[in-house]
Amino acid sequence: MNVDLSRIPPAVEMEVVSDPQELAQARQQDEQFARNLAWLRCHASEVYSQHRGKCVCISGEQAFVADSAREAVALAKTVFPQDRGRFVRYIPREKVPRIYAN
Amino acid sequence: MRIDGCWYPCDDEITRPIVHAEILTGEGDWLKVLLLVDTGADVTAFSADVLELFGLPIHERHDRLGGVGGVADSVTLLAQLRLTCDDGRKAVFRGEFSAFRSADALDMSVLGRDILDHFAVIADRQATLLALIRDRHRYQIVTD
Repeated sequence: MNVDLSRIPPAVEMEVVSDPQELAQARQQDEQFARNLAWLRCHASEVYSQHRGKCVCISGEQAFVADSAREAVALAKTVFPQDRGRFVRYIPREKVPRIYAN
Repeated sequence: MRIDGCWYPCDDEITRPIVHAEILTGEGDWLKVLLLVDTGADVTAFSADVLELFGLPIHERHDRLGGVGGVADSVTLLAQLRLTCDDGRKAVFRGEFSAFRSADALDMSVLGRDILDHFAVIADRQATLLALIRDRHRYQIVTD
């Protein structure tokens, strides 16, 4: 069987990190993130419905909305500069079921 | 090794299998991202909002990535992605990843089989369980 190597995705290498200092910093970030994620879960309906087509950065258990991810993060950083658990979600313009495949 | 995800409500009121990860930005910070666990995706692909935050040089330009909606322009970048193990360690994945430039092409980054194939993937909606396992963690199918 001939294999077209150009069509095979390049390998992704895996490494396990166990450095205590690095993991301690990561743990703090995970805790901050968990609070933000929980907040979004509780406020999902209002956040999604009010900000379609926008980027939302969840930080400090609040939503910061902008036209771009960079702007949303910048807004969040002005209020919660120490929150490394922030994350961004783009809210699609239309509320429709989706099939993801690529 | 076990990496836990969760079933998370999305904007369309659909609950989807999600893992949280960190990506290493060009500024040297680890940025939190949500990834859809997508066994139908050949490769991991980042949405446009995440690409914007990467701050990394684009390695090369892909032709395009194909999916249900057809094909869309994408780029490739060398990146690092980090997942959290249940014992507190971090699994770091390094390689070439794809990203979309258009927000409409992909609204949520997907974790594809370039990473998922390192694991057995358990996505049990009824049990509200989502886990990636390998090494000392194994699964068994039991018939009563």
